Amino acid sequence: MFSSSPASRRPRRLRAIMAIGAVTALAAAGCSSDKSSKSSGSGAAKGDSQITIGLITALSGSNKALGPDHLNGFKLYLETHGNKLGGHDVKLDVGDEADGGAAAVPVANKMLKEDKVLAIAGIVATPTINAVVPLATAAGVPVVNTGGRPTVKDVSHLWTMSFMSTDPGGAMGPYMAQNVGGPVYVFGPDYQGGYDQIRGFTDSFAKAGGKLANDGGKPAFTPFPTTTDFTPFLAKVKATGAKAIYCFYTGSSAIAFVKNWAQSDAKDVPLYAAGFITEGGTLKAEGPAAAGIITSMNYSPDIPSAANRTFVSAWMQKYNGEQPPATAMYSWDAASVLDQAIAKAGPNPTSASVNEAIKALGQIDSPRGPWQLSADTHVPIQKWYLRKTQLDGTALANVKIGDLATIGS
Amino acid sequence: MGALNAHLVPAVDGVAYGLLLYVAAAGLTLLFGIGGVLNIAHGTLFALGGYLAATVSDGSWSSALLGLAVAVVGGTLGGAVLAVGTAPLVERGELPQALLTFGLALVGGDILSTVYGGDEHPVVVPHAVNGTVHFFGHVYPTYRLMFIVIAAVLAVAGTLVLGRTRVGALLRATADDRAMVGAMGYAPWRVHAALCAAAGALAGLAGGLGAPIIGPGPDTADKVLMLSMVVIVLGGPGSVLGAFVAAVAVGEIETLGVSISSDWAPYLLFGMMAAALIVRALRGGLGGVGIAMPGKARA
Repeated sequence: MFSSSPASRRPRRLRAIMAIGAVTALAAAGCSSDKSSKSSGSGAAKGDSQITIGLITALSGSNKALGPDHLNGFKLYLETHGNKLGGHDVKLDVGDEADGGAAAVPVANKMLKEDKVLAIAGIVATPTINAVVPLATAAGVPVVNTGGRPTVKDVSHLWTMSFMSTDPGGAMGPYMAQNVGGPVYVFGPDYQGGYDQIRGFTDSFAKAGGKLANDGGKPAFTPFPTTTDFTPFLAKVKATGAKAIYCFYTGSSAIAFVKNWAQSDAKDVPLYAAGFITEGGTLKAEGPAAAGIITSMNYSPDIPSAANRTFVSAWMQKYNGEQPPATAMYSWDAASVLDQAIAKAGPNPTSASVNEAIKALGQIDSPRGPWQLSADTHVPIQKWYLRKTQLDGTALANVKIGDLATIGS
Repeated sequence: MGALNAHLVPAVDGVAYGLLLYVAAAGLTLLFGIGGVLNIAHGTLFALGGYLAATVSDGSWSSALLGLAVAVVGGTLGGAVLAVGTAPLVERGELPQALLTFGLALVGGDILSTVYGGDEHPVVVPHAVNGTVHFFGHVYPTYRLMFIVIAAVLAVAGTLVLGRTRVGALLRATADDRAMVGAMGYAPWRVHAALCAAAGALAGLAGGLGAPIIGPGPDTADKVLMLSMVVIVLGGPGSVLGAFVAAVAVGEIETLGVSISSDWAPYLLFGMMAAALIVRALRGGLGGVGIAMPGKARA
């Protein structure tokens, strides 16, 4: 008897919800059509040259820690350049790639089909590249990518600001083979990015005559992300007679690795690594344990160039004196590349003309030093730096102690 | 002797890591084994405790104790939210309650990442235990040695409370026959609420104690939940002793096992879990497979 009452209530509630939904949708549609008619109207009438740039980044999900740096680097460039790229006012259309991959597809589709963006910048996770780049390529829209770079078949519309994942190790290998004076013990996480990073090191290290200290001469790959305690892995290092450790870790793995290393038998074996191990918040969480780590990176905030001083001082002024992470610099460069390419694309830039202009940019003056895009891979050909984590004032910082090779292909 | 010496640090570390897992899993096994609530938000409560302890930590003993206190309070409040949320669903069985805790875990996780950001937070442990100690020619973190002592005390205390006190008897009785406990004059909702709060407090405490080892960060909740689940499945839900043995076994596998055969490191843990489940299924029929039988406590 009584059980019928909730059942009969349900359709009514459903109807109410549907009604509310319908009203909201109508209102939203009304608003948006209103807005778009206004903006396109004004654009057509005044010859207003506003352009829309899409920025896809991780504002939620597992890469939430990285997203803000990408966004802030791009925004900082706009703020310090009168909100203009290539002389046109910019409307920044920010989309959230969340956990990456398929989650970013509707975001990209909206940018490409509804918002008609001139170009897309950003993208943190490599699966997002694989999901978004084919869509953008089909629409003829260039993607200026600031995060990870996987292997992509058609790079005609993809331009990477960061690096190839084999590059950090590739720059460090020859240096360590010549300077460490003995075998090196190598660690990395057992996922594709980890294999690529470590392969970059072991290949170039072996070519320069270096020998691995690991059992069987093969790098030690630790289970990812399940390894939270590296102590048992580190316990083997000392007995092998290794003169140094090289590793690639990021985020919470990096923090655990560095803390465990600093309190293990291996603590007097010097630690070398790809630069991400001591970037931004990771370094802060590691604290004093990170002192003395030597890293390979394509950026250091203390590079003495005019372009870098402009970038670093603008960043520090805005973010309480904190030093900019490399990811923010890639994003700054993405804006800078678009700025120059759009300027070259003439008074009425199209996605196609901007894409052509990026291809023809040549040398780019950047906070990291001058670099250029490889004609084959569309990844920077750039100089890598040797950095040491040490006290700079009161806080630990990545201080440049030398130059490594210039690589890129 | 040489081989023994080489594996000494991993063996000791296995005890420390195992006890960390035990402390981390205690709240989950208590609530699941006795209350019948499979708390997916358990890792989130652990992370909350870790964040709270990290926020007040400044390297002094008083801040460390304060950190543990706020972690326990935070965990208890989280447990209270859980109690309120699951109370109307108690009669509907385990799945709706587990789904509700899943929702709470998502909401809680988002609140934590909004408040604390996407970075891991540094935890400053008191200077006296921040360094390393030397034993048998090896170096080992002092905090982990201290952790072994604290966790052992907690394990003994937990066993005594559940096995030797009136409250423990009441909890075990609830697990066996909820209706009978109600008939004895203990309102079931009170027992339920107390269980949720206690499980939350344990999770918060574990987060505070474990923060220097599994730092509070965006992926802490998932990691801790997964490892705690492994411990529960291996040890049997609600079994304090079972969880203890399972946790130390998992700890040793993840350290000593890795040290002896690092090539097999990715497969050791779940390989052993699968083996244990198969053996148990063969020996005791399906009913013996941990997850299939909540609501039965064995102290």
